[in-house]
Amino acid sequence: MSIDPRHSAPPAQSPLRQTGALSLKDVRKHFDFKDRALTVLTGFNLDVRPGEFLSIVGPSGCGKSTLLRLISGLDDAYEGSITLDGTRVAGTSLERGLVFQDHRLFPWMTLEDNIGFALIRRDLSKVARNRLVRDHIALVGLDGFEKAYPHQLSGGMTQRAAIARALVNEPKVLLLDEPFGALDALTRVHMQTELQRIWMAQGSTMIMITHDVEEALYLGDRVAVMQAHPGRITHIVDVDLPHPRDRASPLLHRLKDDILAELTATQAGRGDSVVHLAHRRGDAAAG
Amino acid sequence: MKAHALYGAAGRLALGLIVPLALFALWDHQARNGGANAFAFVSAAQVGRALRELLHSGDLALAYGSSLKNAFGGLFWGSLAGLLTGAAMALVRPVDWALTPIYHSFRQVPLLGWLPLIGLWFGSGDLSKLIVIGLSAFYPAVLYTYEGLKGVEARMLEVGQLYRLTAWQTFWTIRWPSALPSIFTGLLQSLAFAWIATIGVELLFPSGFGLGTVMQHGQLQARLDIVVVCIVVVGLTGFLINLLVSRLSRHALRWRAVRS
Amino acid sequence: MSGGTPSAKTVVTMASPLCVLLLWHGLTAARVFPPEVLVSPQAVLAAFDSLIRTGELARHLGESLQRLLWGFGIGSGSGLLFGLAMALSVTFSRLFDPLFQALRQVPVLAFIPLLILVFGIDEVFKIVIIAKAAFFPTALSTLDGVRGVPKAWFEVARIYRTPLPALVWRVLIPATVPAVLSGVRLSLTRAWLVLVAAELIVADSGIGQMMEMGRQMFRLDVVMVGVIVAGVIGFALDRGFVLLQARMQRWRPPATGAAA
Ligand SMILES: Nc1ncnc2c1ncn2[C@@H]1O[C@H](COP(=O)(O)OP(=O)(O)O)[C@@H](O)[C@H]1O
Ligand SMILES: [Mg+2]
Repeated sequence: MSIDPRHSAPPAQSPLRQTGALSLKDVRKHFDFKDRALTVLTGFNLDVRPGEFLSIVGPSGCGKSTLLRLISGLDDAYEGSITLDGTRVAGTSLERGLVFQDHRLFPWMTLEDNIGFALIRRDLSKVARNRLVRDHIALVGLDGFEKAYPHQLSGGMTQRAAIARALVNEPKVLLLDEPFGALDALTRVHMQTELQRIWMAQGSTMIMITHDVEEALYLGDRVAVMQAHPGRITHIVDVDLPHPRDRASPLLHRLKDDILAELTATQAGRGDSVVHLAHRRGDAAAG
Repeated sequence: MKAHALYGAAGRLALGLIVPLALFALWDHQARNGGANAFAFVSAAQVGRALRELLHSGDLALAYGSSLKNAFGGLFWGSLAGLLTGAAMALVRPVDWALTPIYHSFRQVPLLGWLPLIGLWFGSGDLSKLIVIGLSAFYPAVLYTYEGLKGVEARMLEVGQLYRLTAWQTFWTIRWPSALPSIFTGLLQSLAFAWIATIGVELLFPSGFGLGTVMQHGQLQARLDIVVVCIVVVGLTGFLINLLVSRLSRHALRWRAVRS
Repeated sequence: MSGGTPSAKTVVTMASPLCVLLLWHGLTAARVFPPEVLVSPQAVLAAFDSLIRTGELARHLGESLQRLLWGFGIGSGSGLLFGLAMALSVTFSRLFDPLFQALRQVPVLAFIPLLILVFGIDEVFKIVIIAKAAFFPTALSTLDGVRGVPKAWFEVARIYRTPLPALVWRVLIPATVPAVLSGVRLSLTRAWLVLVAAELIVADSGIGQMMEMGRQMFRLDVVMVGVIVAGVIGFALDRGFVLLQARMQRWRPPATGAAA
């Protein structure tokens, strides 16, 4: 199993869940930037099957965050169609959760209030609400920190709290935008294991953006590789390994090398990122 | 280590006392031995006597109570009105457009410059005092409420959007708490300005009976001892008020990371 | 989240002061209040005109501004030196800090009776009180500004072995100037406020005296001219200073902060 140059259709497995099927058809997105249009995404097609874990990797600035903002409904100025279980996505919804790149916990709320914040629009009894909050604090392993303010938590803990806030509504789709980007390498590895456990327990569809290919492969059923200018998916890699996974698996390592080669090749091919040091030194000496 | 620190603290205290004590000695010397302006100086003993006299007659307590009443009355109405105005300006754009030019042009007039006009309109009684003190508290309250509510980060509001909060819920859970630090800063300023304005108004409108009035009478009777007692009381009060508000705001904003 | 067009904003912004003027005019034209309570805008204009033609306004303003210049110059100049000395010398700071902190707590206006007793009601008194008002903000901001220069920058300078003159000129001064200037700006505002207050209390000349006389003679038109002129001068002083400030620190992003 290797990089499949054709956009592979989602493998036909028996779906664990009936809901959470996300479909993007010919999505285009541009920003009006100083009276000229900056096209960020064009002809973007993607099908995510229910209960799947999809990782997306790509160079910085290729439109990954923009994509998640479109799916979450924070930004709904786009062309094409995004549907969840057949219904067109319009505005934000509690069915679609989002974990931001920065944790975005409110500094003035305790951990439990931050997580309860996601339930404000839910018609729940106080008891049910408290139980949901407590269960999700336990799910991410933060029991005992209910009354702590965000500044009293470590980076890994705030990120877990953010995940708990996004999960507390039991969304059909959970979107994660480089959730572990700001963590140190050890905490990252730990959080990846945790996320895998949570995903297996929860079973909702998850789409995670990351710039860490290893992370993408370790967690993803499939890994979509994006390229910039304009942002699009160039390849989708199937990772045909059961969860929970072994980091040492040779297949993961081979796939990682392939994807990295792919990403760096196109980067170099663009030319502008190649710096001729020798040349510059010569210029400096001459000048 | 500990003994050294203690010694350092004691030494620092001693150093800090040199200048005030020297000034005090010079002053006392002038008062007793009579210099060029001897009439203008009073000895420490005289100030002490004045303090006892004022305490005994109950004048000081009466004046102090009346000044505090003026200050807090003005502070209450001024900052309440300021809070509402600032919030209306921050939340409703046409209100912002309409009031901003008016607010800024009124603010240019030095506060006590309003006194003659307000005196003509409302007399020189308590109402005029309340208006000027209220105005002094109003300005900072408007400014800091406005900036606090306007300065809410868009990324924080997005979280509210994500969880589909109504405008009302967004206000109470996101806008208001994130504006609170700024609003407290404004309150602190309002308080300081209200206290300053109280003294100024009482000096300029000598009706009623406040600390400023007592100082004014002291000045007219050339009783420097009384004036000095009042200055000390005014200064101490300002200090205590600041302390109180900063404690209060630290408690209300305990969610903020403590900065060293 | 989309608001009105910019043109709507301009219309409202322009219309609101006009509405205030129109309301004022309407109220006086309809004689809702007797003229002793609310004079018409035209009457204020006429008073303004006659004050200019008789040269009275120019005389008052000249006196006030001259006082301001002296008091502000002396006050903020000595505040600058004092703040520098406090920041650079530990001994100096230990000697003067307690006195400085204690005096800072007392509102300037509370010193008016004391200074009148000591200096009389002549020019010296007014310049001293203005200088006192201007001293503290500048001293405080200089102290904070110099102490607040990050250690990291000195380390950068050490790595590149920057000589001392260059360190002072290229790092220390640019790093402290913004803080010092914002203190000086506050000093100027305070000085103008206290000047008007002092002239109201000891009314012998100046713009404050003009207003106080107007009040005593029930000349509402003169009082209103005084209020407006005091506001315009205060505004012009502040604006002028901000322009100067902008020229002196062009490297900074434009700030929209306002002095309280
Ligand atoms: N609000 C915006 N206005 C204009 N351009 C934007 C905006 N948001 C993102 N962009 C541009 O869109 C491109 C993709 O951004 P983003 O989705 O944040 O990239 P990334 O893949 O690193 O998450 C970038 O070139 C960025 O400059
Ligand atoms: Mg991004």
